[in-house]
Formats: sequence, C-alpha cells, structure tokens
Amino acid sequence: MEGDVATFETGILADEFGREYAGALERYLAAGGEAPLLAAYELGRQGLTGGGGVLQIVGLHHLALARLFATGEEEPQSAARAISRAGEFCAESMSTFEMTLRAIGETNIALRKLNDTLEEEVQRIALALHDDAGQLMVAVHLALDDAVRGLPADVQGRICGVKALLGLVEERIRDLSHELRPAMLDHLGLVPAVEFLAANVGQRAGLNITVTSTLKDMLPPKFALSLYRIIQEALANVRRHAHASRVQIQLGKRGTLMRCVISDDGIGFDPVVTAKTARPGLGLVGIRERLNTLGGKLRIQSGKGRGTKLEITAPFVQVKHADSNPPRRRPSRSA
Amino acid sequence: MVLCTPIRAYGDILEARKQGRALASELGFSSIDCTLVVTAISELARNIVLYAGEGEIRLSRERHLGANGITITACDHGPGIRDLRNALQEGGSTLRGLGLGLPGVRRIMDEFDIQSRPTRGTTVTVKKWKAT
Repeated sequence: MEGDVATFETGILADEFGREYAGALERYLAAGGEAPLLAAYELGRQGLTGGGGVLQIVGLHHLALARLFATGEEEPQSAARAISRAGEFCAESMSTFEMTLRAIGETNIALRKLNDTLEEEVQRIALALHDDAGQLMVAVHLALDDAVRGLPADVQGRICGVKALLGLVEERIRDLSHELRPAMLDHLGLVPAVEFLAANVGQRAGLNITVTSTLKDMLPPKFALSLYRIIQEALANVRRHAHASRVQIQLGKRGTLMRCVISDDGIGFDPVVTAKTARPGLGLVGIRERLNTLGGKLRIQSGKGRGTKLEITAPFVQVKHADSNPPRRRPSRSA
Repeated sequence: MVLCTPIRAYGDILEARKQGRALASELGFSSIDCTLVVTAISELARNIVLYAGEGEIRLSRERHLGANGITITACDHGPGIRDLRNALQEGGSTLRGLGLGLPGVRRIMDEFDIQSRPTRGTTVTVKKWKAT
C-alpha cells in the first residue's frame, strides 16, 4: 500500500503541472501575496481546459501540502494557519471549475424547461388532432351522406367504401391523439395506457408487444406521465434500430422502487462501442434526462445479436429537484 | 473613488487582481466572494489581452439601499464583438463550452452588462453585492 501511495505521489508531483502547483503553493505559504494566487487560478484553468479533473487537482493539492509538512517542523499553531492559507490557495485553483459547475446547472434547468415546453406542445397537438380533425371528419361524413342522396345505387356503394376508409383514418387519428396525450393515464392509470400504446405501436410496426404488470397502486400523475414517455421513447428506439419481432414490457414494484423492464429480441448493440464511437442515441439521452428528474436509474444490457434489455428503476417518492441557486441580484427594498 | 489598472500584457492582470482583492475584503466580502471577484477580473482582463491587445480594468465601490457592492468595468478600444449574442452563449468555442469567459463571468457575478461596437471597442460592467 505504502508503495502505491509513493508511486502515485511521485507521479503526480513529478510532472510539470504538479511541480508548478507545489511551487506556487509553497511560495504562497512562505510569503503570501497575489502572484501565487494568480498562478493557482491559471493552473486550475489549465487543468480544466486541458481536460483535467477536480479530483486530480484536489489530490495534487493535498499531496503537495503533505510534502511541505513532512519537511518542515511546524508548530501546531502555525500549521493550522498554513492549512487555512492553503485552503485559500486551493479555492483559487477551483474558481474556474465553479464557473463550469454553474454553467452545467443552468443547462440542466434549461433542458428541463425545454422538456416542459415540448410536453405542452405535444398536448396541444394531441388536442388539435382529437378535436379539430375529429370535427372535420364528422363534417365530411355528413357532407358525403348529403351528396349521395338520390344517386344511383352503385355510386352509393362506392361512396360507402370511401366512408369506411374515412372511418379508418378517423380511428387512426384518434389513436394517435390518445397515444400522444393519453387521457386514460389520468383516468385509468399507467398500465392501461401502456397497454393501449403497446397495441397501437405493435400494430403500426408489426411488433408483438406484451405488457405484464404487478402494479396495483395509482401513480402520481407527473410520475406516471414521465414513465409513459420513457416507455414511448424506448419503443420508438426498438422500432427504429432493433429489427425486433417481440417486445416485453414488465411493470412492477421492488421495495420502494418502481421497476420497468423493456426487452426485445432484436439485433442488439455493443454498449461499450456505442458509448465510445457513436453519437449518443438521442433516445437514450432523453430517457436518462427524464429519469434524472425522477431520481431514477437506467441499466442497459445488450450485445450484438442478443437483443436489448432496458431496466428502469425510480423511487416512488419523488426526489424534489432544487431548481437552482438563483443568483443574488441587486438588493431590493423588501429585503 | 475609481481604481484604474491599465492592461497591456498578461502580467498586468496581477495588479488588477491585487486591487480587486483589497477592495473586496475591505468591503467585508467573504473569502469565497473575494475569490469570485478576482476570478471575474482575471477572465475580463484576459479577454482584453487576448482580443483587444490593451485596455483597462476599473474598480469602484457601490452602495445601494444600505448594501455594499463592487463594480468591475473592463474597457477596451479593440475591434469590438461582432456577434454579442454568440459571444455570450455556450459552445461557441471550447472554452465557452466549459462555461469560462464572458458567460462564466456573468454566472459568478450578480449583475452583468456589455456594450460593444465593431471597431470601437468593448465595455463590460459587472457588479457583485456583499452577501447579507
């Protein structure tokens, strides 16, 4: 063990970056001043833009500090002072990381807002399909009934055929609308909504999709909607990429976790290769993002020719997301 | 009272940082906020050196409704920024993808303003208020 630590230490302190960091820290502890702090900021910035990590710099900081103490003969009081000053130095090297962290926080909030906007848009489209297109269809039916009155029987027969086709279009539009914004999600819960989705997608894509469930409780509406969207996205992925013929969706509860497994018998993929080389599939990114807001997890099992299995778990009790630390603004009168 | 530091080379960042830290700690800023103030100064001064060649960093204290704050103004007469919106967005360059540069400064300060005209130069004004 000691050998490992020593190797790590010489490794990290031996390169130029490590030497510069340790040198600047030593100068700051010895004499203070702004110059070593500027060096700390610069080194942190270099570490960040060079793809280095926070852990690397913090590790480096502690090793450098430990080395300084190992050689000096510090009184406890001056040691405490030195450690506190070393903290100032370390904070300086972390300041650029702070900017990055805040940027990520803002991006996450923006993504979540975008997601809400998309959800609203989907509902608007679903409603327009259902109400507007539905009413137009009724009008077309009535107009056709009116037009055929008094026409010869063979023409009436042909128009009847057209009306039957129109009926199919109507049904398809209604199904699509329900799929987009499943009202049954609110009224009947997740399982019937997923069964409806599975039946429709199965019919459209020529897939045999089975849904099994051991869920008994009604889920909170937002939670259920997120899960519905995740399953929708997963099925879209299967349709687009898997070349599968069968899909199984299992819904259940495990302790305090909601568990959903979606497995197909398609061509599968190599998760490692895909993660490294391919543009990350937007579908999986979307699923992950939705799961993040639920505090859930996604596990993917797949391999070339072995089908794909997505295992989704999320706690029933939703994790509240602290939206952000809103930046302090000009102090207001009420404050 | 306005403290003014000419920025002509990278080394001048040091002087601006000294002034900034002294003023921030004099106003009673926490050590973390002092760090953020000098980081903002560094990023702004760095931009001056990088894009305009020379300019200045001005520091002044602010008082508003009993609160203390610090204003940093980075001013140059360089080529200006042609596409401000792009300059303030992430991902335009690698550095901004990491949230550094102007967007980064905007995030660690409380107020942010930028004026820029092509060929006339750029003025960035940021404020940080002392946490109460």
